[in-house]
Amino acid sequence: MSGAPARAEAYWPLAAALGGLALAATFGSLLVGYVRLDVLAALGDIAHGRPSLPALVLVQLRLPRAALGCAVGFSLGLTGAAMQGLLRNPLADPGVVGVSGGAALGAVVVFYSGLAGAFSLALPLGGVAGALLAALALYVLAGLGAGTMTLILAGVTINSFAGALTALALNLSPNPYAAYEIMFWLMGSLADRSLPQLWLALPLMLVGWGLLLSSAPALDALTLGEDTAMSLGFDLKRLRLTLVAGSALAVGGAVAVTGAIGFVGLVVPHLLRPLVGHRPGRLLLVSGLGGAIALLVADIAVRLLPIHPELKLGVVTALIGAPFLVLLIDRLRREA
Amino acid sequence: MTTRTPSGLALLRLGLLALIAALAGAGAAPAADAAGKPRRIVSINMCMDELVLRLADRDAIASVTWLSQDPLNANMADAARGLPVNHGLAEEALSYHPDLLLAGPFTERSTVALLKEVGAPVVEFSVPETLDGVRRQIREVAAVLGEPERGEALAAEIDRRLARISLDPSRPPLRAIILRPNGFTVGPGSLVDEILRRAGMTNLAAELDIGAYQQIPLERLALLDADALILDSEGFAAPSLAGEALSHPIVAALGRRLKVVALPSRLWTCAGPALVDAVERLVEATAEGKTRERRN
Repeated sequence: MSGAPARAEAYWPLAAALGGLALAATFGSLLVGYVRLDVLAALGDIAHGRPSLPALVLVQLRLPRAALGCAVGFSLGLTGAAMQGLLRNPLADPGVVGVSGGAALGAVVVFYSGLAGAFSLALPLGGVAGALLAALALYVLAGLGAGTMTLILAGVTINSFAGALTALALNLSPNPYAAYEIMFWLMGSLADRSLPQLWLALPLMLVGWGLLLSSAPALDALTLGEDTAMSLGFDLKRLRLTLVAGSALAVGGAVAVTGAIGFVGLVVPHLLRPLVGHRPGRLLLVSGLGGAIALLVADIAVRLLPIHPELKLGVVTALIGAPFLVLLIDRLRREA
Repeated sequence: MTTRTPSGLALLRLGLLALIAALAGAGAAPAADAAGKPRRIVSINMCMDELVLRLADRDAIASVTWLSQDPLNANMADAARGLPVNHGLAEEALSYHPDLLLAGPFTERSTVALLKEVGAPVVEFSVPETLDGVRRQIREVAAVLGEPERGEALAAEIDRRLARISLDPSRPPLRAIILRPNGFTVGPGSLVDEILRRAGMTNLAAELDIGAYQQIPLERLALLDADALILDSEGFAAPSLAGEALSHPIVAALGRRLKVVALPSRLWTCAGPALVDAVERLVEATAEGKTRERRN
């Protein structure tokens, strides 16, 4: 490590600090809600096996919300960083390029057709299938190392098409409430999520994280160019496959239970990239942790804001993320 | 600011209306039978459907809404089966050449306006806000249908059944909260409040700072420490996120602490005769005296 830049040496302290913050935000999410809850007393009740109302609320409502916020944020941040590394494009993000939209479509089809009622794992698997289809469509439409223009065009196409099909699927449902639920699927929310949903989504997300994080060395090598990476012994075909599968699992599992939440995977990697010496491999873990922090903070915000019914998470992330995107566009234009 | 001058658009609109009227034959005076009863009744409101199906002769009903044929959604689905259905559209309604057209307050305003403009025999009804209002509306609808005796009989039956409900006067009212799809609850001052009162309950939503019909976060609902949780259930066969709120694990967990009563939404969607069924069900479900001892 002697020749490495000083910034890169600060990697583990940075990761540890972000991990600590993510943990704190998760705990903060447990503390925040619509009613004052004596969390310590509730924890005491849980420890003594007393099924008190505060204990019930903490375990059945606050815990799944906080844990899902952390896991889904991690998925989005990590996937954003991985896609930006793979496509070598700063605008690659599951939300922008339509992978989240595809996941929402897959989940919607499975949920409203009643398939999710038949076997529960169908819901996250539907999300993964949708995400996978969208990622493949992106691959076909834009190709690797595509210019920003091509990537954005392909992303817009996939995103709007998936959104339209989602609306269509909701309209076709015989349940009259379904048509009003498009906001959840396109904007995302953690409101009233449950423990079973956490257990459904988490295993798929974990596998996805494993695949994505294992690609770190290859992503670093890829910055030197495809030929150099291959000469260093990395199988690029396998790398692409791993990253696409990992992204689909992480995002598909997440979106299936919380809806599509935009901007996290776009903004977080950008903020953290300079801190890891612009190395895409090192960006992965810290982006995931940053994503978890960002989503948890946004979810705490929607509960503290005096707006009811509460805002969808995508609204908050877009309010913060869109100006950021404007700055990014501005910088790209000046560089061009 | 603007003076009304006949514009091309207005002329076009008049022309269209005339065309619709001509197509529907609404210009021709509707022929009631000798007794003055309407013979081609069309209802374009689900709650009106129910009263028409209960009060009018079946062969006098020309059409009811499609909603009324779904047994999960409507109380008179058996009676509605086989009748021609409409989707509340003006054109559809007119195609039956109605001599009586019943609309509700939630019927599309533009539809009602259009129907009136072409001279269709539209009668509009509001939503009653009390059980007295329900009985009054039954009599009013019956009068329009030319069946006043049936209206009297139905109103009398409601009175009889309500009078039969006996509550233990020594028992304090159960503290109840309602959970509808999407986490909505029913606030104070509504007809549902009166239903709860008749069933020996008080609506806890009155203690909350929420409007007449508001969403309640599940954690707030859980911590209310209510005696009874009334679930608006059995609404629809197809899944929705709205319905998922009712099957959240915390509702099942709460069921071990308080009385959970599932009340099919069809019984209280309309301010109609089925509200009595709702009261009876609530009384029956909470009668066993199974209110848990309050922990203090």
